[in-house]
Amino acid sequence: MATSKYRNQPINSADLNLELGAMTEYPTDPNEEVVMSIRNLNVGFTTRGKKTHVLRDINLDIYKGKTLAIVGESGSGKSVFTKTFTGMLDSNGFISSGSIMFDGQDIAKLTSHKEWQPIRGKKIATIFQDPMTSLNPLLTIGYQISEVLILHRGMSKEEAKKEAISLLERVKIPNAAQRYDDYPFQFSGGMRQRAVIAIALACKPEILICDEPTTALDVTVQSQIIDLIKDLQKEYGWTTIFITHDLGVVANIADNVAVMYGGQIVEYGTIEDVFYHPEHPYTWALLCSLPQLGTKDEPLSYIKGNPPSFGSEIIGDAFAPRNEYAMNIDFVKEPPAFKVSETHWAKTWLLSPYAPKVEKPKVIQELHERMKIAAKELARQEGDEYAEETKVGE
Amino acid sequence: MTSYIVGYTIIILIVLFIVFCVLVKRRVLFANTPSMQKIFAHPLLFYSFRRLGSALISLILAILVTFFLIRLATPADNTCYKLFYDPKISELVYNLRCDNWKENMGFSGTMLQQLINYFYAILPFPKTLCVTEINVDLGMYTITGCRNFIFDFGRIYKLAGFTDGGFVWDYILPRMGVSFEIGIIAVVLELALGYPFGILMAKYENGWFDRIGKAYIISVDAIPGIAYYYIWLALLCSVFMLPMTYDADNFLSWLPAILTMAFTGMAGIGLWVRRYMVDEFNADYVKFARSKGLSESRILWVHILRNAVVPLVRTFPSAVIGALLGTYYLENIYGIPGIGQAVMVAINSNNSSLLSGIIIISALLSILSYLLGDIVTALCDPRISFTKE
Repeated sequence: MATSKYRNQPINSADLNLELGAMTEYPTDPNEEVVMSIRNLNVGFTTRGKKTHVLRDINLDIYKGKTLAIVGESGSGKSVFTKTFTGMLDSNGFISSGSIMFDGQDIAKLTSHKEWQPIRGKKIATIFQDPMTSLNPLLTIGYQISEVLILHRGMSKEEAKKEAISLLERVKIPNAAQRYDDYPFQFSGGMRQRAVIAIALACKPEILICDEPTTALDVTVQSQIIDLIKDLQKEYGWTTIFITHDLGVVANIADNVAVMYGGQIVEYGTIEDVFYHPEHPYTWALLCSLPQLGTKDEPLSYIKGNPPSFGSEIIGDAFAPRNEYAMNIDFVKEPPAFKVSETHWAKTWLLSPYAPKVEKPKVIQELHERMKIAAKELARQEGDEYAEETKVGE
Repeated sequence: MTSYIVGYTIIILIVLFIVFCVLVKRRVLFANTPSMQKIFAHPLLFYSFRRLGSALISLILAILVTFFLIRLATPADNTCYKLFYDPKISELVYNLRCDNWKENMGFSGTMLQQLINYFYAILPFPKTLCVTEINVDLGMYTITGCRNFIFDFGRIYKLAGFTDGGFVWDYILPRMGVSFEIGIIAVVLELALGYPFGILMAKYENGWFDRIGKAYIISVDAIPGIAYYYIWLALLCSVFMLPMTYDADNFLSWLPAILTMAFTGMAGIGLWVRRYMVDEFNADYVKFARSKGLSESRILWVHILRNAVVPLVRTFPSAVIGALLGTYYLENIYGIPGIGQAVMVAINSNNSSLLSGIIIISALLSILSYLLGDIVTALCDPRISFTKE
């Protein structure tokens, strides 16, 4: 358990209106068009007859044509959250309450696979983490793309083949026409992920969920895939939901960021809000543990302790036991969401008007300068790589 | 004469075909014709050649083992005594009969001579083999029957309802037909029942059908085969009043054996189909297929089944070929004149050439079914390649 110097700072709950300053309604950016609106979403799982609550009271608006990044450590509920958008929860999972408004209907109410079919693939497409296993090993790449075109766009076999080849070309697979008849095992990891993207492209979805699409790939291929997704998003104008551990990727691709911890969104804002003015101690800890932002003389910081287990009920703030800024109340009462700006909110008692002024970690205070240095370093490295590449090329 | 022409023509054609394929592969012939290259230099073809070559070695080993085991387990003199000893005949006549029997059964001469004769008879090239029968009164050997053979398993002696000195082939072939008639119906039924059984169990995993199915599979596994067959016998013949003895002309009398085989085999198939289907249900590509918006039935029939069946297709050829050999217990229970019954007949009547013939045929067939199983698997799974790395 992290020791906090604010541990003894009580906010006496007895005589104070704790909800003072807390948001009553989650803000929607009036300049953006909302494509999906999630309200008070709770998701649970039944394991061995015991119910656990995995997602707790999630509220979020997803804006059309924008990229939302969902970050958080393993087990924070990122994947479970996006699975509810396509009804892909495991069979023991269930939405206990809340709504997901999409396309004029509450998709949280859909239950059977049949009801989900017109949405899956056609309106909301998903790219999974591991391209090695997400393609059927016994069907050709071409077949797996055409299948979707025939199903959702009502094409004939020949039209579908033609379109599939052009999609393969679109995701930059060389000799697309010849590779149409290849099986997945004949493709490299990066190429398989491109093929998966081509399948996602096939129906021109409104929302593309990328569930850690680059985790299983090596670094050079990662950036190619991310660039490809970015380019295609510009062209097709869909909304991307990007689940990732990698804050570098987030900085590169996202418009809005939702930080998840313990099945809740603990901080939400635009990329500037979250990266330059983070308010939640968990976001601070995440940013502090970025090696790129460290300096030579200080030890690499990391988040001590373990993520909360969903087996037992979480009392207070889920992050409190690992929080270096935890106050008494964090262990007692769950913080509400406090508004920071029109586009930015966070769930932490530190934003309560009664909270003491805390001194943010050094990295966060110096964030602007350090980001600049990191960016410069990155540019230098890329320059080096480029120089090396050209050398090899010669 | 015809069997010589046919036999040598087949041998020459096979040799020519292999030479042709090798030449195509080495690019001596049709180097620039991709279509010819694709067919005659196909890795699968060469894999089959190699496998047939190694199968030949396995077969020769199997023949050697059978040859020596039979001769060590049942010395020819003992068998001779059992077959011909009669206090009423003179020792001279007994010896003449015994020597004549040994000569015709391939038990005369040294072990090496016997072995060479045995291989001469069994190796697949055309030859003429004759039976000599002694006329006891005249004390003279007379040749009573010659026949052209591609390969020969020897002769049968002193068997009720069969020509004395008749050829093993003549005894085995019609019985194989009987076994196959019944076996193939059973296999088709077994597959037709087993696959839907396994698929349904996997589809409704832990549902009521799955539970009943599992209980059935466990009961088939747990009850010893012979006891299980008698339970079916009681059920089919007493409750459903099906005839208890086989009659070639009455299809109803085939049913008890067929149904017992089919229902027993169905449990095994169902078990494995269920197991592979359940594995595939949880695969990532199934989740991805679902997220593409495919219907559940399409995911099941196009995506899952294909993957689940790949590890199972190799059992198809062996099931079909295995039908040729019949089943030992069932054929004896229901009195079906098939290969399974022939095994018992051969043991009881000391017909060692019949027994070794059946053993060699079953070795040959099982080697063949392994080879076919590999080829079928390769045809179903594009990931398997036969080129050497």
